[in-house]
Amino acid sequence: MGIIRKLPAMAERMPGGGFVLTSIEAILHQGQAKSLWYLLFGTACCAIELMCTGASRYDFDRLGMIFRPTPRQADLIIAAGTITKKMAPRLRRLYDQMAEPRYVIAMGGCTIKGGPFYYDCYAVEKGIDHIVPVDVYIPGCPPRPESLLEGCIHLQEKIKKQKLSDWADGR
Amino acid sequence: MTRDELKDAISNKFKDRVTHLEAGKYDPLFEVKADDLVDICQQLKDDPELSFDYLANLGGVDTTEHFEVVYNLASVHKKLRVDLKVILPYDQAEIDSVIEIWPAANWYEREMWELYGINVRNHPNLSRFLLPDDWDQGFPMRKDWDAPDFIRMPER
Repeated sequence: MGIIRKLPAMAERMPGGGFVLTSIEAILHQGQAKSLWYLLFGTACCAIELMCTGASRYDFDRLGMIFRPTPRQADLIIAAGTITKKMAPRLRRLYDQMAEPRYVIAMGGCTIKGGPFYYDCYAVEKGIDHIVPVDVYIPGCPPRPESLLEGCIHLQEKIKKQKLSDWADGR
Repeated sequence: MTRDELKDAISNKFKDRVTHLEAGKYDPLFEVKADDLVDICQQLKDDPELSFDYLANLGGVDTTEHFEVVYNLASVHKKLRVDLKVILPYDQAEIDSVIEIWPAANWYEREMWELYGINVRNHPNLSRFLLPDDWDQGFPMRKDWDAPDFIRMPER
């Protein structure tokens, strides 16, 4: 991502900076979308589907998605599984440790609204959007690998549409 | 030893200190008074014919009338299982620890204390266990428990 730091100098040197900036934006976001390294954060049965998607049959790698064991190297956190109230501060902490730009996928019913633990449950957080901002929601209990792949493609499209000026807002 | 023999053996051993409760096809179930509990458990473990050396489970129940503490005991060598039940009124939710007999009771009792608010006497480390460290919303497994974001299943 060294290119971001050089960006002001490069734009200045180009004649008609606006046009060049748009091109760089497109290239930059294309690269970003095709190299989403995700943090492994599987807390329940959704993690099984996540593992299946990562393995050879569905093959996450063809989207440029590689799992990372540390938030420092990750662009994306796939919250796969039930987030309990005790787990919620840990999720927030991992999210805070990720470098910007960072994205969140809420995978499965539990992360969207508590899922099967919505009623009569004292321990489960009813939706991780209370804790971290979510980019893509993937419903299912758990979602099939196809759903997860489609969710990731949606996120890639979202990344490609964003503007460099959005980054000024800390996104 | 079959279930019926075990039931008779325990009934004869403790006479009127235990009350047999009907449990159908399940393991023999006895009601025990809270004061008698530790002594009866110790004897169940020490008796060479029974030797209940394994505490399989320990849990609380809130029946909306009173608390129950249920002990599921097993004998590994004699291949026996028995359940004990202690009934506690709401205003005296307190029971003696059985850690001295089965150390496995430690975490079960902590969990019961935390989720039901049943106080356990002589427990070495009665502290926050499964709930978040800053939990301040009472005892969530009680039937009358409520919290701002707790949603009950609607009646059908």
